[in-house]
Amino acid sequence: MIEMMLKYELKKFFSKRINQIIIVIVFLIGIIGALLAIGSVRYVDVEGRLHTGGMAARHLSEDQNRWKGELTSKEIEQIVGDVKELANDYPEEIPNSEYGRTGQSYEAITNFIIGILTPDTEWDDRVLYQLSKEQGADIYTFYQENMKKMAEEYGTTSEKKKLIEKEYDTVKIPLVYESTVSWDTMLMYTQTYVIILAVVIGFLVTSIFSSEFRSGIEGVFFSAKYGRTKAIKSKILTGILMTTVVYWIGMGMLNMIAFSIMGTSGFFTPYQISDPYSIYSMTYGEYYLLMLLGGYIASLFSASITMLITVKMRGSNVAAAVPFFVFCLLPFIGRMFPGGAIFFDLMPSVFANIIEYVKKPLIFQLGGLAFRQLPFVMLLYSVLFIIILPFVYRVYRHYGLKKS
Amino acid sequence: MELQFKNVSKKFDNVYAVKDVSYTMGKGVYGLLGVNGAGKTTLMRMLCTVLNPTEGNITWDGKDIFKLGATYREKLGYLPQDFGYYPDLTVYDYMMYIASIKGLRPIVAKKRSIQLLEQVGLEKYKKRKMRTLSGGMIRRVGIAQAMLNNPHILVLDEPTAGLDPNERIRFRNLISELSAERLVLLSTHIVSDIEFIANEIIMMKAGGFCYTGTSEQIISSMSMSVWNCVVPQKEISNYIEKYKVGNVKATAGGVELRILSQTPPTENAIQEEATLEDAFLSYFGEKAGDRNDA
Repeated sequence: MIEMMLKYELKKFFSKRINQIIIVIVFLIGIIGALLAIGSVRYVDVEGRLHTGGMAARHLSEDQNRWKGELTSKEIEQIVGDVKELANDYPEEIPNSEYGRTGQSYEAITNFIIGILTPDTEWDDRVLYQLSKEQGADIYTFYQENMKKMAEEYGTTSEKKKLIEKEYDTVKIPLVYESTVSWDTMLMYTQTYVIILAVVIGFLVTSIFSSEFRSGIEGVFFSAKYGRTKAIKSKILTGILMTTVVYWIGMGMLNMIAFSIMGTSGFFTPYQISDPYSIYSMTYGEYYLLMLLGGYIASLFSASITMLITVKMRGSNVAAAVPFFVFCLLPFIGRMFPGGAIFFDLMPSVFANIIEYVKKPLIFQLGGLAFRQLPFVMLLYSVLFIIILPFVYRVYRHYGLKKS
Repeated sequence: MELQFKNVSKKFDNVYAVKDVSYTMGKGVYGLLGVNGAGKTTLMRMLCTVLNPTEGNITWDGKDIFKLGATYREKLGYLPQDFGYYPDLTVYDYMMYIASIKGLRPIVAKKRSIQLLEQVGLEKYKKRKMRTLSGGMIRRVGIAQAMLNNPHILVLDEPTAGLDPNERIRFRNLISELSAERLVLLSTHIVSDIEFIANEIIMMKAGGFCYTGTSEQIISSMSMSVWNCVVPQKEISNYIEKYKVGNVKATAGGVELRILSQTPPTENAIQEEATLEDAFLSYFGEKAGDRNDA
């Protein structure tokens, strides 16, 4: 029975002209996003010519993959030596041809070295030139010592310290390198698309319930056999299904187009290449999946909260604005109130900025249990999403029935 | 089969829309007659469990309809006054959606939808989007959806609004056919809609029942007689001020008036047989909806 309700509830949703237009636009944004991402990759060939677009990403990956494999002290020593030599040869500016021939291929690795050498200070590329050959060869010892210092600094309790140490222990040294051009490029575009989808999905979902709040429609609905039971469940299920379909098709299109052209090199590269002291020990692929999953949770939460507000307010005007407030305005408001950092660090707006939060050593503690921000926020909003749904059901079920 | 409401009241912000009404209904057609704002729609919405009463209770075969929930609603068909619809759905999909929330199995739903659309003359429009239908057609879809579950209780709020005279006659005949097996409650402010098909008429005024009974009982309860007289054009306003005036018709010799009065309003006034429309005028102090009122 519920299958038939669901089928026609989905038909009702997808037959709405405004919903069709919004969905087409949001998918178009995904396609345009993928094309912009592809177009943003820059590759310089050995003759110093700049290339952009689809093949640039492939060539750049190929070039960087000269260093594919274990990034041993020997490789690091060689790269440090090369960087210094180039700096001596070209004190003003390295010519494009030289950059294309050498510098470009190990740029990510030099950034990794700078990252290791500036654990808790501003990014400063001069440290690379001040590094002796011996220090370069011994970079991993320095890295591991700094990891211990970081654990001391941010592990303000023994539980927090243990958690950081446990996470750092999983970082395999030497790191295994593979070019992450496509992942690096896509992270920003995907993060932006997560925000767009969460806001749009929240807006779209409002119509599932608000369409019943018109005079004469609610009468037929609530006087039907399942109007106060299964039909409401089918509406909630429609919200979840629609969220899932729109989110994963949108994300699927963005990613399929982008990765099919740019390639997927670097899926297993440790994220520490980009941020050596991150408390999230994971590969680029895992990082990307974390962002996608975070976005999905954000969209589900957005859908559930707008459904609840729609049924509570008996209209979609306020509900439609809520996702925009949560995912677009809240991050800015958070910056205006640095004192309320913890509050804003637990808001759903975190999902709109995973790129930044993954770099922050944010650890919370409840009793003897310490946990990192991102898994906690993901769990929190997954649970909240599930908790909100019965409220949507209850509020809508009692529509028109006031306690006397 | 008994639908009973006892001392039912409904208050909105301390204003009574329905006040202390009691009645028992069985099989047959019940006409709920009253001017706009009399409380007909509120009462019907309570009978359909869309609203609950502030005071009193409504029972079906002795059991509270709100406690019966789906068991009661399974037997219910409801056409609201301002029947709303989903503009982007086709007529057929709309029927199938309503059938699904009424708990019909897909095969039955399909069969019933086609059958009812044929019955209301919309079979060939089943693939048309609801937004493209005329007001009368939408009303017919509304009637069809109310019948989908073959209800024991059929509540129709102003069902003929928007129907042309032919559709109205066809609808009256349809109700007569259906009434043998079920309870039909039909609200209207158009007397002719129920005059000949309602077994009992409930007249509603200011939230309460002001008279209940058969058409004949209501007519015979009138304290005034009905007179037909022709008066000069310039004197119409005097008569309207002094009497309850029903029809006003211009003729060659002046204006023909239908007047409610205990005594003859003019020397040449001819006494006429009273109709339900005259009773409406008598009780409500205003003329009932026009016969062809849309």
